[in-house]
Amino acid sequence: MIELRQVWKVFLNGRREVVALRGVSLSVRRGETVAVVGPSGSGKSTLLNLIGGLDRPSRGRILLEGRNLAELDDDELALVRREKIGFVFQFFHLLPTLTCVENVALPLHLRGWSRRSAEARARELLALVGLGERLDHLPEELSGGERQRVAIARALAANPPVLLADEPTGNLDTRTGAEILTLLADLHTRLGTTMLIVTHDAQVARACARVVTLRDGQIVGDSSIQGP
Amino acid sequence: MLLARLSWAYLKKHRLRWALTIAGVALGVAVLVAMRLANQAVLSSFQRTVQGIAGRTQLQVHAGDLGFPEEVLERVQALPEVAAAAPVIEAALDTGLPGQGYLLVVGVDMTGDRSIRDYEFDSGEEAILDDPLVFLAQPDSIIVTREFAERNGLGVGSRIPLGTAQGTRWFTVRGIMRPGGLSQAFGGNLAVMDVYALQYVLGRGRRFDRIDVALREGISLEQGERALRQALGPGFEIEPPSARGRHFEAILRSFSLTLNITSLFAVLVGMFLIYNSFSVAVTQRRAEIGILRALGADRSTIRRLFLSEAAVAGLVGALAGAAAGWLMAQWVASYVGRLMQEAYGVVQNVEGAPADWRLLVGGAGVGVLASVVAAWIPARAAARVDPVLALQKGRHQVLSAGEYRVRRWLAGVAAGGAALLLTAGRSPAWFYAGYVLIVLAALWLTPALARGLARGLRPLLAWLRPVEGGLAVDSLLQAPRRTSATVAALMLSLAMVVGFGGVARSIYDSLVEWVETTLNPDLFVTPNAEIANRTYVVPAELGAEVERVPGVRQVQLVRSARVPYQGVPVLLVAADVAKLARTVRRRPIEGDPEDMHRRTAAGEATIVSESFARLRGLRVGDVVELPAPKGLLRLPIAGIVRDYSDQQGTLLIDRALYRTWWDDDTVNVIRVYLAPGASAAEVKRAILEQCGRGRRLFVLANEEVRRYIFRLADQWFGMTYNQIAVAILVAVLGVVNTLTVSITDRRRELGLLLAVGGLRPQVRRTIWMEALAIGLIGLLLGLALGAVNLYYSLEMTRRDLAGLSLDYVFPASLAAWLIPVILGAAFLAALGPAAAAVRGSPAEALEYE
Ligand SMILES: Nc1ncnc2c1ncn2[C@@H]1O[C@H](COP(=O)(O)OP(=O)(O)OP(=O)(O)O)[C@@H](O)[C@H]1O
Ligand SMILES: [Mg+2]
Repeated sequence: MIELRQVWKVFLNGRREVVALRGVSLSVRRGETVAVVGPSGSGKSTLLNLIGGLDRPSRGRILLEGRNLAELDDDELALVRREKIGFVFQFFHLLPTLTCVENVALPLHLRGWSRRSAEARARELLALVGLGERLDHLPEELSGGERQRVAIARALAANPPVLLADEPTGNLDTRTGAEILTLLADLHTRLGTTMLIVTHDAQVARACARVVTLRDGQIVGDSSIQGP
Repeated sequence: MLLARLSWAYLKKHRLRWALTIAGVALGVAVLVAMRLANQAVLSSFQRTVQGIAGRTQLQVHAGDLGFPEEVLERVQALPEVAAAAPVIEAALDTGLPGQGYLLVVGVDMTGDRSIRDYEFDSGEEAILDDPLVFLAQPDSIIVTREFAERNGLGVGSRIPLGTAQGTRWFTVRGIMRPGGLSQAFGGNLAVMDVYALQYVLGRGRRFDRIDVALREGISLEQGERALRQALGPGFEIEPPSARGRHFEAILRSFSLTLNITSLFAVLVGMFLIYNSFSVAVTQRRAEIGILRALGADRSTIRRLFLSEAAVAGLVGALAGAAAGWLMAQWVASYVGRLMQEAYGVVQNVEGAPADWRLLVGGAGVGVLASVVAAWIPARAAARVDPVLALQKGRHQVLSAGEYRVRRWLAGVAAGGAALLLTAGRSPAWFYAGYVLIVLAALWLTPALARGLARGLRPLLAWLRPVEGGLAVDSLLQAPRRTSATVAALMLSLAMVVGFGGVARSIYDSLVEWVETTLNPDLFVTPNAEIANRTYVVPAELGAEVERVPGVRQVQLVRSARVPYQGVPVLLVAADVAKLARTVRRRPIEGDPEDMHRRTAAGEATIVSESFARLRGLRVGDVVELPAPKGLLRLPIAGIVRDYSDQQGTLLIDRALYRTWWDDDTVNVIRVYLAPGASAAEVKRAILEQCGRGRRLFVLANEEVRRYIFRLADQWFGMTYNQIAVAILVAVLGVVNTLTVSITDRRRELGLLLAVGGLRPQVRRTIWMEALAIGLIGLLLGLALGAVNLYYSLEMTRRDLAGLSLDYVFPASLAAWLIPVILGAAFLAALGPAAAAVRGSPAEALEYE
């Protein structure tokens, strides 16, 4: 499903070079749930952005369903994101001027759905994440946990095969965080989506079948590989 | 649909800015539409007059404003192709009746004119009207339209005063014409009198302005024209009446310098506001763009989003503008009419500007197009927003070393290309392509230059305030995209101001120089109330009379009139060139001053104005072919000089040459130089006393003429100064707009500064310094680009707008004045956001979303 081979990512910060990933290789099977953990600055977000086609590697290959993302141009990457990827971010990144339904319908709209069918689907999904009552609210009228549910509904709207979540509970209190995790786990079992979750939270990691640990841009631990 | 909701939400949040932006587009379109509509209105009113007077005329024989001797009529009448030929003189005379302004007096020969024109009378002394000889016997007879009669309470037998060459005379109304046909001309302000009486009234001698010809049945226009041309030679224009509209259009076009610059400028202002607002919007909406991109929107979707916003804003503005333009046109039409009258002596009676749908729709189209073009660069920047960076709060999109390099490279190529185009190509397309390339080069270089200048400013600011100065510069360096958008906006608007102000300054300087070197006689003696009016003339003998007045050292006789040159009326000035050469010392543009005056005085050559030469691509040595009643006068150009008497160009020839070729010895201006010690006021009185009896005569002091010319110039410059004021206002608006956004953008960073222990005054000062730094950088770049823009603007004036080559003088005083204005505006723009930044708690500023 997802396959990384010797992926490097180097940022140019003015004159300074920052190596965010140094030769990461990783393969994730369809339907797997993977937690990515590691200290701050270890390259977790960078890894997720590369898999999601938001950015391109400096070197190496990233195969998503057999296609090498490193070779795609900007618009082809946008198409990959639209068709294959759902993102959930730490800071929700909802559009503040759109209602919940509209936020969730947005990716469908970008895929050319009619307004009516996109909103019908958005309503379904909001009901699924437990927000059936909040359809026409603006994000600012919701709590953090509710906002993240909207974001999850949006990520799943187009039924993408891959869901990428970057610290989805990082901006929530423990209890709400746990609720969100339960929701994600629940959706995973129901929809069979492949999931990568970046987290600082040990509890979150424990809940995932597989845990990948990053340090200084390298994979230093992978629970699916028994022993070093 | 959903994306439109995003646009709408943003628009609602920034109502005032969008209202201003849309108003900018509306203004541009309104001016464009108003100018064109007014032009059309003036032209169509002229054509109505021509058609009204033409009657059954098929061809008209004329030779410009100078007319021709009476005997030409016999030659025309003798032709077998001609069924009827009637002489005509037309003159617009000041009625002196309150509120009536000018009356168009048409002089016709009553014995034959009815074969060309129908006269239908309401009332009149039948005997007179039926027997033209009776009409002739009473040279004070005049016929007026019913409209004019009603407006002035006139009836048959009423008497009205008219200025004549012999002073004011009373005329008796002997008939009142029915509406329709002839009566429609000149908005009904029309009178008919005997052509020979009118000759006498105007002091023109035995000459006609025109012969109206009806052809015999079966003779085609071409045959008739050929026969007339053969009989009369090349000195006459032979055209159907409709062609006069074209000549008038040509005069009107010479007025279009103002018109073109104003319209162009108005559209540019609109475009700049769009560019500015969209640059700001793209910076503010980066997060939104980032989210859309993460959700899979491709670049073209983002670009389309902004471009359609621009199109809609443009459409709304353009529709409002088209409507406003139509209203404005009513006023502009009368303004243009008045200007045509004062500057060109072509009197108009303009009645409103009718709506022309094609023009309105075209104007609106220009608005939409301009708006989309202006939004193009910001829309492209939006499409290139990096989604990862856009979603990381507080992180700015930095430009990589590679990007700087690419931009510098592009700028170099563009600048090189522009230089190449300037030296290589002569065609306008190359020139304008070069202009565009230079602006692009400046835009591409902006980030690198802004960075360099910010670094350069750091020591200065750090010396002023070590902590705040450093922080302010760092903020500029950290967000190069934001900084360069603001700086670029400021740079473009200042460049516009400098270019515009510079051209105005140069024209004014050059006008002053012309007035000083050329219009230097102490007194001007003329039969017309204004120096540019050439309706009345006086005989040359008057010159000798004036010269005998004590205190007069020298007189110079001048006869000037518009003559057709290749279908366009130009000003022919016939003067004593030998005398003129000793009093008028102007810098020649081309040719040797001694030689050109000697040859022109000898009647071997002509001296032409720069506009005449430039607009036709002529140089010294080229031969000008001037139609005259005696044939085609061929004269080589001996010199090119600056002259502002006429925008289409001026030709100077010697009066002796004029006398032989035009068979005319009249004069319309006598330039008078006083003997040393003579008092202008006393000599003026003496001239009026000794020469003015029984004559229409005005003696204008040098001061009055100057004042008249500068009043005309000020009418023109009045518009220009308004434009400069608007340009400055727009520049200030641009600064305030972009700075406000740039600072609002930094709320979080500033909150951070407070959180780590920064003092409120320190934060405030940081913001002020940042604003001042941006203002200063924008000023430096803007004045630099302005210097280049001025060069292109002057070239444009020379090549396409007016044929004037003006000296390049950087408007230093304007620039010096701009410095405090722009810095002040930057500071004012910073006050609000700076206060807001320190008002809330740091925690609030640190919050997300
Ligand atoms: N756009 C960028 N430009 C320059 N350097 C960057 C950029 N993005 C990330 N980095 C650098 O790359 C390294 C890895 O960053 P990344 O965001 O992937 O870490 P992370 O593991 O997600 O950390 P955290 O847990 O704090 O989110 C860091 O040193 C970071 O400073
Ligand atoms: Mg991270």
